[in-house]
Amino acid sequence: MAFLLRRLVFYLAAFIAAATINFFLPRLMPGDPIQKMFAGAGSDLSLENLNALKLTFGFIDAPIGEQYLAYLKSVFTGDLGRSIRFFPLPVTELLGRALIWTVGLVGTATIIGFTIGTLLGVMAAWRRGTRFDTIISLLSIFSSSVPAVVVSLITLFAFGYTLGWFPNGYAADPMLDPSWGWDYVGSVLYHGTLPMLTMVIVLTGGFAVTMRNNMINLLGEDYIVMGRAKGLSDRGVMLWYAARNALLPTVSALAISLGAVLGGSLVTEVVFNYPGMGNTLYQAILARDYPVIQGALLIMTAAMLTANFVVDLSYVLLDPRLKRA
Amino acid sequence: MNDPVLSIRNLSIDYIGATTDFHAVKNVSFDIGKGEFFGLAGESGCGKSTIAFAISRLHRPPALIRTGSQILLDGRDVLTLDDQALKQLRWREVAMVFQSAMNSLNPVLSIERQFYDVLKTHTGMSRLSARARAAELLKLVDIPADRLSAYPHQLSGGMRQRVVIAICLALNPKLLIMDEPTTALDVVVQREILERIHKLRQELGFSVLFITHDLALMVQVSDRIGIMLEGELVEVNDAQAIYRTPQHGYTRKLWASIPRLTGKPIAEVTP
Amino acid sequence: MTLLTQLLRNKKALVGVTILAIVILVAIFAPLLTEYSPTQRVGRPHQAPSAEHLLGTTRLGHDVFTRLLYGARISLAVGFGAGLLITVIGTVLGIIAGYKGGVVDEVITFLTNMVLVIPNLPLLLVLAAFIGQASPLVIAVILGFTSWAWGVRVTRSETLSIRQRDFVKSAEMLGEPSWRIMAFEIFPNLISIVGINFIGSVLFAVITEATLEFLGLGDPNTVSWGIMLYNAQNASALSVGAWWDILTPCFALAVLGLGLALINFAIDEIANPRLRTGGMLARWTGLIRRGEGTL
Repeated sequence: MAFLLRRLVFYLAAFIAAATINFFLPRLMPGDPIQKMFAGAGSDLSLENLNALKLTFGFIDAPIGEQYLAYLKSVFTGDLGRSIRFFPLPVTELLGRALIWTVGLVGTATIIGFTIGTLLGVMAAWRRGTRFDTIISLLSIFSSSVPAVVVSLITLFAFGYTLGWFPNGYAADPMLDPSWGWDYVGSVLYHGTLPMLTMVIVLTGGFAVTMRNNMINLLGEDYIVMGRAKGLSDRGVMLWYAARNALLPTVSALAISLGAVLGGSLVTEVVFNYPGMGNTLYQAILARDYPVIQGALLIMTAAMLTANFVVDLSYVLLDPRLKRA
Repeated sequence: MNDPVLSIRNLSIDYIGATTDFHAVKNVSFDIGKGEFFGLAGESGCGKSTIAFAISRLHRPPALIRTGSQILLDGRDVLTLDDQALKQLRWREVAMVFQSAMNSLNPVLSIERQFYDVLKTHTGMSRLSARARAAELLKLVDIPADRLSAYPHQLSGGMRQRVVIAICLALNPKLLIMDEPTTALDVVVQREILERIHKLRQELGFSVLFITHDLALMVQVSDRIGIMLEGELVEVNDAQAIYRTPQHGYTRKLWASIPRLTGKPIAEVTP
Repeated sequence: MTLLTQLLRNKKALVGVTILAIVILVAIFAPLLTEYSPTQRVGRPHQAPSAEHLLGTTRLGHDVFTRLLYGARISLAVGFGAGLLITVIGTVLGIIAGYKGGVVDEVITFLTNMVLVIPNLPLLLVLAAFIGQASPLVIAVILGFTSWAWGVRVTRSETLSIRQRDFVKSAEMLGEPSWRIMAFEIFPNLISIVGINFIGSVLFAVITEATLEFLGLGDPNTVSWGIMLYNAQNASALSVGAWWDILTPCFALAVLGLGLALINFAIDEIANPRLRTGGMLARWTGLIRRGEGTL
């Protein structure tokens, strides 16, 4: 419990750090920060609305410390301002919709990639030096080194444009209304296939390499030799003695790689015109819609921290040494 | 010797390198009788653990047991066994205590689970009866049954090694191999463990292959002792004979390297 | 045996080094390998590959092959520049944290963990959005200053174990100043970790630069693989069927990435003997087959 509590405090600090970056970035750039932040609005923004936005972002007539506190206050009360491009749509609402798609895409792809990659890594390590190991290792090295942008462009080219098997964009058929009916869900799955495939290709190799190397490092341990000496089945020793222990460092590696996973999904969303956080951020950058850009950083950081916390929880479940700590 | 439990004949084991081989064990032969406590001594890297691993066929590539070697357990050559027969032989006939007490229990499984998997695999025992049997075994090594739900990190090093010994006895093996079982433990715990093994051996009648580099300790506990040097077995004799009248020059050197309390070496080195 | 000779004996490393060497040579000798200039119109828009234009032309009539050759310069420069910066920062902070311990360690570790949980690419996007169009140099510098955390983490934990070794203890007894111990006792033992960190960072920087440029945060007048992707995407190359325009930089990035990853995997194998399989296993299998022994 103490472990989890410590992590929570740390995550709070990390979130404040992200907010601090947001606060200082416009103020450190050359030129007038207010001018820069809200320039995209042109003259559409009434004075009243502009003042409300200024307040949200801490641009008040006060020393910098008070400005900072004012900004933190709006962040922690859930006020991330309004989109300039889609005024007066609140940033939280715009990004909230996008977040659902990204979490669905990244979450599913991470689970699939982690499961497949870890299993492949386990089998490769158990049969190390065999042809199976060589092939899996080479494929994994390739998968972990190819940029997401390259994989998504090639998948889009091959399965979207050339073969025409899958749609080239959107999360669902725009003619359908969102519902839990089969038509809509089916359309979501159909549209999600290529982005998902891309993400799985990009993620699986890294997990496979990590798991393989962690497991090979453990194979000489006494408890694994003892598992074999006990006459247990090969599968039993492989899964419950070797893989079960190698999973611990692999899960820590997963936590570190979550940022890269999110980064990969950003690009994939842009290529497939998928309406998630990445695409929304991209559109906001093109339109210089700074409230949305800043909000995206905060919400993605929050999402990362949540994901990290989930990993922490699973780590506690996996490692008996942490349970009573 | 009549009906030895273990009979090793012409055992040669190499570690295969990219271009040359390392001969870890060279043409070694010895017997261990029923109920006997046999010690195998020699400095680290002399091949004694390699022999121990070979008896349960625990080696991994690039180790290679050369054709022509024989390891007879009750007259049956373990080197000819197929995978299935080998798995049945392991632990049921030969159990093993490993070098590091801290590290031979699986850190993520409870103690009970580590009894259960071996009992389930070999006897098909249910969880409930495995639990009862495990409690009984833990009693043999003076550990209360409520520690069954503990994880290895919650036990001290000495306790962990006693748990391993209890697991070793689960299937009443004929031979217990102890590969430097006490090096990671302090002297008091070390003595306690060896005394316990001695007592259990009298009760249960298994033989012991005890491996260590600590010759003085070995003489106290073993019936017979083999001395190894660079993969060869250079001398085998009764423990008392090894102590009082060492034949091989290397054995004498080993004794000479151990200072006695009186300050004089135990045996003079003759060049 | 030194790391370098061992590297050349490893098949994966050999392939990786060869790929990297080819890319470097191409970057250096680009002007000799093509008759065109990368920034001039030399053909009609979106011409398919032909003898005249080996990899076709872009929508602006630039020769794709020429841009590919010249683009290698920027990718390599940003990759190695940012990679070096990332490695230097990561190694220095990692050694200091691991060796000094105490408050210094706590501060560095705290910062490192923080950088690790704030998602990198979104942060870069936000930074780049405020900066406007970023030149390759600016991208390299930003990457260098935001991506060192992983390096600190691995260097620190390795330093912690080296600090306990006898030669460090004895240097301390002799009263050597701590900077000397860190630079001459500890650092030489970290070479393989530093190597892995460096190659991994180069790979990361190459990928990230291309990604940022693809997303439109680079300077569109640069000749680089990322800008090639950006221009091709803006020209809707895929939907108009000009696959050569977009697949060429894709292929280049994939091959360079693979080369770097192979080198890294090989360093890992050399530094960690347990991961190595190599020749002995082939010989072992042969001996088993010939019936010379068993396991």
